[in-house]
Amino acid sequence: MSNAWRLSRGTHSILVFVLLLASRPLPGFGADHLQTILARGELLWGADAEGGAPYVYPDPQKPERLAGFEFDLANALAAKFGVKARMVQNQWDQLLPALDRGNFDMILNGLEITADNLQHAAMSRPYYVYAQQIVTRSDSAGPTNLDGLKGQTVGVLASSAAQRLLQRLGGVEVKSYPGNVESFLDLKARRIDVVLLDLPIALYYGRPDPALKFSGEPFSPGYYGIAVRKEDVTLLAAINKALAQFISDGTLERIYRRHGLWDQRQSALADYKPETVVQRKSISTLREWPKYLPLLLRGAVTTVTLSVLGMALAVAAGLVVVLTRLYGPAPARWLAQAYVEVVRGTPLLIQLFLIYYGLPQIGLRLNAYLAGILGLGLNYAANEAENYRAGIQSVPKGQTEAALALGMSRGQILRRIVLPQALWVVIPPVTNDFISMFKDSSIVSVITLVELTKVYGELATSTYDYIGLGLMTAGIYFALSYPASIFANWLERSRRYDHR
Amino acid sequence: MIIVENLVKSYNATRVLHGVDHSQQRGEAVVVVGPSGCGKSTFLRCLNQLEVADAGRITIGDVTIAGGGPPRNAQDRERQRRLRLRAGMVFQSFNLFPHLTVLQNITEAPRTVKGVSRSEAEAGAGALLAKVGLEHKAGAYPAQLSGGQQQRVAIARALAMEPEVMLFDEPTSALDPELRDEVLRVMRQLAEEGMTMIVVTHEMQFARDMADTILFFEGGRVLESGSPEQMFTAAVHERTRDFLRRATTR
Repeated sequence: MSNAWRLSRGTHSILVFVLLLASRPLPGFGADHLQTILARGELLWGADAEGGAPYVYPDPQKPERLAGFEFDLANALAAKFGVKARMVQNQWDQLLPALDRGNFDMILNGLEITADNLQHAAMSRPYYVYAQQIVTRSDSAGPTNLDGLKGQTVGVLASSAAQRLLQRLGGVEVKSYPGNVESFLDLKARRIDVVLLDLPIALYYGRPDPALKFSGEPFSPGYYGIAVRKEDVTLLAAINKALAQFISDGTLERIYRRHGLWDQRQSALADYKPETVVQRKSISTLREWPKYLPLLLRGAVTTVTLSVLGMALAVAAGLVVVLTRLYGPAPARWLAQAYVEVVRGTPLLIQLFLIYYGLPQIGLRLNAYLAGILGLGLNYAANEAENYRAGIQSVPKGQTEAALALGMSRGQILRRIVLPQALWVVIPPVTNDFISMFKDSSIVSVITLVELTKVYGELATSTYDYIGLGLMTAGIYFALSYPASIFANWLERSRRYDHR
Repeated sequence: MIIVENLVKSYNATRVLHGVDHSQQRGEAVVVVGPSGCGKSTFLRCLNQLEVADAGRITIGDVTIAGGGPPRNAQDRERQRRLRLRAGMVFQSFNLFPHLTVLQNITEAPRTVKGVSRSEAEAGAGALLAKVGLEHKAGAYPAQLSGGQQQRVAIARALAMEPEVMLFDEPTSALDPELRDEVLRVMRQLAEEGMTMIVVTHEMQFARDMADTILFFEGGRVLESGSPEQMFTAAVHERTRDFLRRATTR
């Protein structure tokens, strides 16, 4: 597991992260931070318990307390120091910046010992050896090793070790998911062939499901380690010493056996030799823009396609809804009104989940693109219906009366008198909606679509250049939405009949 | 030509028309006067079904609508539309279509409702514009015209449907005094040409000069009616004499 294995809220946090990086208020901890912990009597450890099984998560039996192998390990560690352990809840992909800010003493939450992470923190010797596990449907043969994944559609956690592994391998269609459950849902819905992920997660979420099976042995092992601030050397030494003891006296084995996580690979923990870490230069994506801009632009194509088609659907469906609501027979009228209220009163995210993950359960399987367009379009249709309604009602009653007096029918009046006048009132809010859909479309990354913001998130977590990529991404969004507002302004000005 | 029998209309609990009777010959010009809130505008709007009466009968030409209440079926709606086609309506607030040019305002209904060809509709519109003295404004939009010009276009628009009756609902009330005459002049011309008209107005001079019959409305009833001569000099009711004297000297 790695950056953003639960990234559903990742996009909002990116901005926060940028601000954190930009300000970076380094607290003045002394070299002997261990003394501070001992004096405080509490070891503060950062982790994310939301959807965090089997690492640390609310105990299903007693939700007010925590469970998990890392929860047990943290308690053992604190006991060794003679203090109490207290978990500090922190969004997973923001753990490193929060450690930097001094929100807690260490991170103990499935953080891999990688060159990336070592750029930002000091890491202990490993406390767990994870590996990648292939999960398929019970009824399929499925590949049993890494090479067998070529040519397959593979679900992974966003920015996970598995995702990086497959990208290096090539020839695999990778679909990344924000959480641990969604990939399994899509696997069962036959939208993907296999899921590849860290063994502990597979054991907890995939194993109990009779519709799924583990295919082949785990491969590509890696290490989880505890992260501390680089300057806290005494703390790191104390942690390493304690871990070494836990490994030799069987404490770790006992904890892992209790959680069903002990396996042969863990014997490697005893004779771990730290690899020499190559200090990587920080990347300036702005300077290397020819490499990154095309990737972002490819994401932008998806963004534009989704929002143009989504808006086309919204504009058309909104008209049907408003006409039904204003002029339809009674039951249809109520239905249209209910549609507007329900759609506006529920989050787009939930609607997308329902369309993409919910509909397959009643036999309607849409691909991600179609689901995204449908979700955005039907959601915005409710807004457009309200825009139209405001526009239609802004046309004075005298217009309808004059047309009635001339013998025009309701339909003729609507088409030739009311709607043409309402159009001018409606253009500005509809254009605004188009621009916001443009930005809202980033939410479709939760149903595996890779659009502009998603590409940004993926590139930023691998390069750590949030600012350079952020500027490029914002620039693309602006370059695409500004013409839309210019067009709307021009359209408004061209309303000839208002000129005196 | 026009026969109205026992027309009753209420808004919620307030009764606005208490059983109005009226009959009118072809070519007759009727002017309706009375204090505000007396029901004279409602009477006019009931005639072409912008308001639907609660009870009573309305006949214009060969179309009769009886019983009151909104249309219940397609047949009712069709009859309502045919009644409207017999009557042209001119509103206090003009109600021209702002997104259409003057010419399009006039040709719109003949083309969509009657299916008249474009060239024919435009020829007709040109003649009507000449009649109201605005042939040079055919390409203008309503917002580019003065109030008096707009009202003259509105009259031309109503005439384009070749109605048997013209209904005027306070056509000069929204106009500055200096713009009223150009509208009144067009109305006089129509009356002289023998157009059947019902005019709700406060213009007493027009009533005196042009009306064949004046109806005095009060409290949702026709209190009395008669020729201008009779009404201005020998009205039966004190209330009528009082109103007409004040309105004339104002």
